Amino acid sequence: MTFVNQKTLTVLEPRQRPTRRALAKQQTREKILAAGRELFMTRGYEGATIRDIASAAGMSTGAVFASFADKAELFDEIIASDYEALRDEMEAAVEDAKDVQSALLGLFGAAYRSHVHRLPLVCAAMSVGWTRDPKTAGRSREALKPIVDLIRNALQDGVDRGELASHTDVRLLRGIVWEVYLSGYRAAVYEGWTADDMLARLAEQLKIILAGVRA
Amino acid sequence: MGVREQQKQATRAKVLDAARDLFDSAGYEETTIRAIAERAGVSVGSVFTTFASKAEILGQIMNERIEQLTVELEKVVPHLRGSFVDRLSAFMAIRYDFQMRRPKLYLAYLSVSFHGQRARGFVRMGTSPALRAPLREIIAGAIERGEIRADAEVELLIDAIVSLYGFNYLRVAEGAEVAELTSLMDRELKLLVEGLARR
Repeated sequence: MTFVNQKTLTVLEPRQRPTRRALAKQQTREKILAAGRELFMTRGYEGATIRDIASAAGMSTGAVFASFADKAELFDEIIASDYEALRDEMEAAVEDAKDVQSALLGLFGAAYRSHVHRLPLVCAAMSVGWTRDPKTAGRSREALKPIVDLIRNALQDGVDRGELASHTDVRLLRGIVWEVYLSGYRAAVYEGWTADDMLARLAEQLKIILAGVRA
Repeated sequence: MGVREQQKQATRAKVLDAARDLFDSAGYEETTIRAIAERAGVSVGSVFTTFASKAEILGQIMNERIEQLTVELEKVVPHLRGSFVDRLSAFMAIRYDFQMRRPKLYLAYLSVSFHGQRARGFVRMGTSPALRAPLREIIAGAIERGEIRADAEVELLIDAIVSLYGFNYLRVAEGAEVAELTSLMDRELKLLVEGLARR
């Protein structure tokens, strides 16, 4: 199930069954998301306007604004749905892993392998993050929460198993791991690294980081 | 220096001053070359004969700021005392303090550092020798004093420190100020260094 479905279904819950109108609304959303993804990929975040996205989706700008509050919300939903599509694979990687290091490499490996084919979108996401207003920044953080939670759970499992020290600051560690993971994309963008290259460096960095919190 | 060269330098300085103020007040994306020219009191054409793009202007502004910061740091780095993590923390705190004097400007620089394009003379965040060389020195000192493992992978460690330093600025969008960035960085460095401690 995608992010989009979940959202719409929540709205529909009282009736349990989507009405025709709700279905049409969801189709509209998905058309906009597809057009947005394409344009953000080719033109970057600043280069793609709501007007362009509307026209590529074959609708009015008004129809776009009926589904999304602004460009940032539309963009964040695309990024979130990309992660959402990887969630099963990431969850499985965590479940199958024998320790924290391999759990993290499993879930980040899934992300690297998928995102490496969509680097322009990754660039747009990384470049837009710095200049958000507080409201949008909070919303974007919320959109990534399911994935960030997966990382936290993998680390917490390590603490519960006694692999990591019981006094480990999981929140701090989660932030460090996430940032080191993100920085891998820059090497892909500017140095042409493959997913395997990124993962190899991440593995070395995780080794250092986790060594400091072992039980 | 010929009259022509002097004029060129004067235009350059005026453009950089105007752009710095506009990027830091109105924002980088919001600022057009036309607005920069207007504020600098020069023609749009002469901006373009000096700089190929807005990103190149931003790159020059940041290079000059980094030079300024390097002068400040050179006075400090040889006098850093205390443990490895204390020295790293002090070094990073000075950088946060300096860059947060013009937060919007630095955030614009981070944004362009990540957006995938290249501009002449633009040194992306984290790749500047002015950032990496002093870190290398601090790490070498710690290895020499036996504080951390002699086989520590120095460049890898610098990459990690630089990533944490840079990504912490994401919190500025939600209102974080220097003190919060510095204290977060301190805690992150402490954890990172634990893993390198000689056992």
